[in-house]
This record gives sequence, C-alpha cells and structure tokens, in this order.
Amino acid sequence: MTTLAERPHAASPVRQRILAGLGQPWSGVAILCAFYLALILVFALLTPFFLTSRNLLAIGSNVAFIGLMAAAGTPLIIAGGLDLSVAATAGLTGVFIATLASQGLYIWLAVLAALILAAAIGLINGLFATRLRLNPLIVTLGMMSIVGGAALIMTGGLTRALSVPGFNWIGQGRLYQIPVPLILMLLAYAAIAVTLRFTRFGRFVYASGGNAEASRLIGLPVERVQITLYVVSAISGAVAGTMLAAQLGAAAPAAAAPHLLTVIAAIILGGTSLYGGRGSVWGTLLAVLILGTLNNGLTLLDVSSFWQDVTRGVVLMLAVSLDQIRTRALGD
Amino acid sequence: MRGIGKSFGGVAVLTNVDLVVAPGAVVSLLGSNGAGKSTLVKILTGVYGREAGTVRIDGEAVVFADPRAAAAAGVRLLPQEISVMPEMTVAENVSLADLPVKAGPGFAVVDRARMRARASELLDQLGFAAIAPDRLVKTLSVAEQRIVEIARALAGRARILVMDEPTAALTEQEAKLIFAIIRRLKAQSVAVIYISHYLNEVFEISDQIVVLRDGANAGTFATAAAARADVLAAMLGRVAGDLYEHAAKDGTGGDDVLAVDHFSFFDHLADLSFTVRRGEIFGVFGLIGSGIETLGRALYGGLGPSPAGTIRIAGSPYRPLAPRAGKAAGIGFVAADRKREGIIGDLTVRENMVAPFIERYARGPFVSKAAETAQARHWIEALGIRARGPEQKMRTLSGGNQQKVCVSRWLVDGISLLILEEPTRGVDVGARREIYRELRRLADRGLAVLVLSSDVEEVAGISDRSLVLDRGRIVGRFARRTPPATLMAATASDPAFRAAS
Repeated sequence: MTTLAERPHAASPVRQRILAGLGQPWSGVAILCAFYLALILVFALLTPFFLTSRNLLAIGSNVAFIGLMAAAGTPLIIAGGLDLSVAATAGLTGVFIATLASQGLYIWLAVLAALILAAAIGLINGLFATRLRLNPLIVTLGMMSIVGGAALIMTGGLTRALSVPGFNWIGQGRLYQIPVPLILMLLAYAAIAVTLRFTRFGRFVYASGGNAEASRLIGLPVERVQITLYVVSAISGAVAGTMLAAQLGAAAPAAAAPHLLTVIAAIILGGTSLYGGRGSVWGTLLAVLILGTLNNGLTLLDVSSFWQDVTRGVVLMLAVSLDQIRTRALGD
Repeated sequence: MRGIGKSFGGVAVLTNVDLVVAPGAVVSLLGSNGAGKSTLVKILTGVYGREAGTVRIDGEAVVFADPRAAAAAGVRLLPQEISVMPEMTVAENVSLADLPVKAGPGFAVVDRARMRARASELLDQLGFAAIAPDRLVKTLSVAEQRIVEIARALAGRARILVMDEPTAALTEQEAKLIFAIIRRLKAQSVAVIYISHYLNEVFEISDQIVVLRDGANAGTFATAAAARADVLAAMLGRVAGDLYEHAAKDGTGGDDVLAVDHFSFFDHLADLSFTVRRGEIFGVFGLIGSGIETLGRALYGGLGPSPAGTIRIAGSPYRPLAPRAGKAAGIGFVAADRKREGIIGDLTVRENMVAPFIERYARGPFVSKAAETAQARHWIEALGIRARGPEQKMRTLSGGNQQKVCVSRWLVDGISLLILEEPTRGVDVGARREIYRELRRLADRGLAVLVLSSDVEEVAGISDRSLVLDRGRIVGRFARRTPPATLMAATASDPAFRAAS
C-alpha cells in the first residue's frame, strides 16, 4: 500500500475535504451566495453604474415577473409536479384583461376574471396530472400550447394597449421608493417560505415529492396538495402577467412565453431537485437574483443578448453538475 | 483481497479487510447492515476504487478501473436487485454484454442463432433447459429471471461470481433453486462469494463464512465446524441468543379487534374469515403470490374500496376505502417495500415519525417542531433506534432502524391494530431480534398486531396464532409454537420447485 500503483483511486486529502464540505446540507445555498457576491464584485469593478441604488432597484423590478412564477413553481416541483404552462398563462392573462377592459369592463373586475381563469387552468392541470396520473410534463406542455394559442386567437396575434393609471401602478408604481412588482414578489417569497417551513401543508409538500407512494400509504393528502400547487402556480402566472401588462402599458399575446425556461432554470439553479422532495424557495430567490443580475450586468457591459442566452445556459449546467456532485458526496 | 481500506467523505467504511476465496469454494460474506459487505464486493468488481490494500486473482495483482474490466477478468457481480431487460428475450438478456455478430449486408448484424445456442447451453449447464431462449423475460417468474441473470453473469469465462443477497426477493423454495445452481458452479470450480442476511442459507450453502463488523474482519469460520452462536456473536459483537426469545406468553389474547368475515378482493383473495385479538401477534404466512402481499393493504384501504365481505374493527363495521379512512378507524400499516412505500428519504427521522398524525403536533396550520422533537426523542430512545438524533436524514439510517421508525409512526393513541408486511425484510439479525421484541411489547401493551410474511420461520417464531394462505385462500390455521415445517407443508409446493427437485 505504499506505492502509488497499488492505490489507483487514492483521493488526495484536499479533494476529500472538498467532497466532505460539499456533502454538508447548507453547501448549496452557500455556493449560490458566494457566486452571487462574486458576480456583484465583478460587475461593480467593471462598470461604475452597476452598484447604484437606481440600477439595483431596476434589477429587482425586472426580475419580479420571473421571480413570482419561480416562487410558486418551487413548491410545485418539490411536491413532484411541474408546470410548463405558467408563462403562457401569464401571456393569456394580459391579453384577457386588455380584451375585457376594451369592452368597457371595470379594470379590477377584469383582473379578477383573469385570476379565476388562471385558477381554472391550474385546476385542469392538477386534475389531469394527479387523478389521471399523466406525466405533468406532457399535461402542462399541452396546456401551454392551448393557452398560448388562445391568447393569439383572442387578439388575432396583435398587441393591445392597456393604459389605466390605477392599474399601471401595479407595474410601474413605487412604494417608499421600492418598485411595486418587487414588493409583490418579495411578499410571495415570504409567504411561500413560511408555508413550506412552518405549516402542515409545507410538510405535505416535501413528503409528497419525497415519496408519493409512501405518503399516500400513511394517509397524507398527496393529490390535494399537488392540485392546490398547480392552481397556485397558474395564479402566480396570472399575477405575473398582470404585472407585466401593467408595466408595459400593453398586452402582447407572446410577451411572456419565452421566459418559461428562465423560470424553470431559476428553480433548478436554486437547488430544487427536479425529482421532487428537495429544495427551498430562498435558493430560488437567490437564483432569480443571480440570473437577473447577470442579465443586467451583461447589458451594462454591452454584451449582446444572444450571448446572454449562452451565459445563462452555461451557469445553469454548471449549477446542476455541482448539485449532482453534491448529491453523490452525500452518499446516495 | 488483502488489507483493503476505503472511506466515504472522510468516514472509514473498510479498514484492513482480508477476503480469500479458493476456486470451487463458496464463501459467505456475513455482517449486519453497514458492516461493509457491499462496499467490499463493489471494490472487487471494480465499482469502487480503494485507498489501501491489494487484490490478487490467481496470484496476480489486479486493478479494475470499472466493472467492465472486472468482468473481462472473469469477476462477475449479481446485484441485489434483479436487473434484467423485461422487454427482451432470454437469449438477448444472456448475451447482452457480448452480442455474437456475423457479417451482414455491408455491416455486422447480430447472429441470432448463435445467441440462442449460447443461451440454451448456459441454461442447460445451470440445469434449467426448460427456460426457452425465445421467451420474453417479462413473462418469466421472479426466480426464473434470477436464473437468466445468473446465466448472463456466467456468459464468457466467469471465475469469481459475487452474489449479493440473491434470494432476497424469492420464496424459500425458489431459493433452493439458486442453491442447486451454486452447487453446480462449484463443480465447475467457479469461486462464489455469497452475501446474505439469512443464517440458515449461509450454513446450508457455504464452505467458509467470513464475518465483517464495522468495516473490519470479525471472524472466519469453516462452515462444517462452526456453531451458529459463534457466528452470530462475531456478527453482532456480543453473544446473541435465540431470535425469538420474546415468544408469546400463554393465555394472551383479549377481545377481537379485527373480525374479518368472508372477505374477498378481486382475483387476489377469496372468502377469508379470521379474527385478530387485542394483545396478540397474528401471523399470516404465504409464498409470494399467495395473497400475503395483498391482504394487509386491502384491509387498510391502501388498494381502494374493497368489494366483498364484512369487517369489524373493535365491534364497529368498517369498510376499507383509502389509507385515510383506515387510519381513522385505528389501523396502522407498515409496507413491505420500505424504500419505495415506507420511508421518505429526504425528510428527517422526526418528520418521518410524525407524518401520519402531524395534526396532533400542530396548532392550526402551523407545526410545532418542539412537540415533534420531544416525540421523536421519546421513540428513538424507547425503540433503541440508532440515529444521531431526530434531525438525521431518514435515508442515511440502516434498514432495521428505518423499519423501527416506520413502526413508531403508528404508536399513538387511537391506533388499535398494527398491520405489518414483511417486517424484517432486508434487516440484519440484530435489528430483527429487536423488532420482534418491540412487536411483542406492543402486543403486551394491548395492540393487535397482524404480521404478513413469506418468511416461514418468522411467522412460526413470533405468532400467537397464524394462518397460511395459498392462491388467495386460507389453507391452514395454527396455534402458537407450530414448527415452521408444518406451516410450510400447508402451502402447496411451487411448480418451479417441483420441476427442479
């Protein structure tokens, strides 16, 4: 055992220490934090405008739309579901509100109607995925196509102006200098974090995703939990869509759909397992901020948006690889 | 293998372990869960690397970079879980790693005739010429699938065959088929390393027993000269007595907790009538497919509404509907397949324990971690669960300790009947004894315990009363201390077994 030839797979002490550290439960969030700080440092050094309060609030306001959908998507994926139709629902919502408003309906009633429509979409997703035991990927992919198509039909593919001062405040207004969308998003994170950590429902979410069959056999309401989360996800899409339309002062049927991948990427980057059972909403928030900051910083540096897509993909793949290595270090 | 050492994440799992196997010898590798058996054979078969020690085959030092290299050197592993391709034929499964090819129209194609010939030759060698090479593997029984898997492991030139609990999913008769095969392999001077939890099997089949404990050698015995108590002692690190020392006292059994009358469940169970009393352990023995895998969960409601028969729980009418309803009626249920249907691996021990009755530890929608922790600490102590604490992740516990957690879930007020499927499957001997002791204690405390098992010794050893199922029907009712052989005789013998003997 003294010669190297006889110790073919000997790991160096440093490597072992690193692996042991990666095996710690908190290491995922720690890595994200470190990465985020490094990102901020790099951009701060490269461009003076980056670290101004105006720019930071702009980042917050810009990520709110994606952040909100990612917030609601996190518990859904933890519980073993998946919602690919959320961004399309956001798009439909804007168009739906604009259409109803253009026909003279009171704007807030139109918003309420859109929320109810979204809840119905989520309910259908949930019922198909649980009661019929269909793969959520297929169900919500189908729903994405239906909803996206409906939005195009509603306006004939055109963008509708939507300018109602009180309504636009949701997207453009500020409370104590802080953008309203950012406030809405942070409230959503706080509410979901409390639910996941301190309530029975939160425990059911982790149990359902961790082992649905075992949870069912000890009498936990697995299906009800998942259906509820599909509805919550769809409603988050509706709120995000409302925010976006209010921000832009217009509703375009295809404005939201391209952001779906960013939403899913943020959830996975944040450490939530695609197989369910593991994850946290704070990890998602960090990931949303990282992706938003990356976008913002690269834009300030005049990097083309095409390259930004590439960067986002690289970051995501790195994060997922690291997560896989961590999982193995945990010994499973 | 000499002086093998290995650690995971800084924790040593093997230190200075030796294992020597002669050609044509069967060596049993014995040890509790976590003793390092699987790790050792994974090093031998190239799945893991090692940090210390040498591996020599026929005196020649070898280093296997991956399982493929080990297989090429004639070292084959039969993993614990059956890993056949159900949609392929027997012949394809056997030759999968090394398909025979012949020249085709411009490119090589699979030589089907040679593939078939090779499969029938290998199966014939094993004594199972009856398995047709062209059958789809999914149409075979579990035991036959095992045999196909062994044939695959032997394809090419196998010198060392490692079998990791090959009988875990098999009934006792089917296990005998595997033993017959091992004896044939011996005659062909293949060296066999046999890993098992079952002492009986180990004594029946092996020439030598190597015991591991806590990642180190704890004893090597020549089987013919070894006493069971010595082997157990080496394994457990203390002198172990009879597994069933906590057998039933006479005169137990109070009022009926469960009364089943003419209960049927689709094609699986027909016209069953029996009662389970307060304070007793009621055992149901049957082979795989006899209905023991259905009865428990059908009563609990895990299979949905049941069509026929009347059931009373403590005198009140009860109809199985869903797990929630079963729970509300006072039934606790521990499923056989712990990993798939029992534990929630990513949650902590505490969260797993309180899951079914979480409302009892909650105020409104909010959970109380303090109350849960108190409860978890109580059961960790009372059941002797070996965990670092309530916050340890469930999946990092050994099988026996996971099982105790699954049982502890139901130890709350209001549960009067505990149904357990295969309570000690995949659990080491030490933990088995503790589980039997706890079940007895629970019965003494007034619970009715219904155990469904394909382990005949288990049912014979712990039951106050028992019955035997075969093809969904009751074929025998027995009292306490019925010998296992009597229970076994009650069930009709398996066709595959008769074919082989």
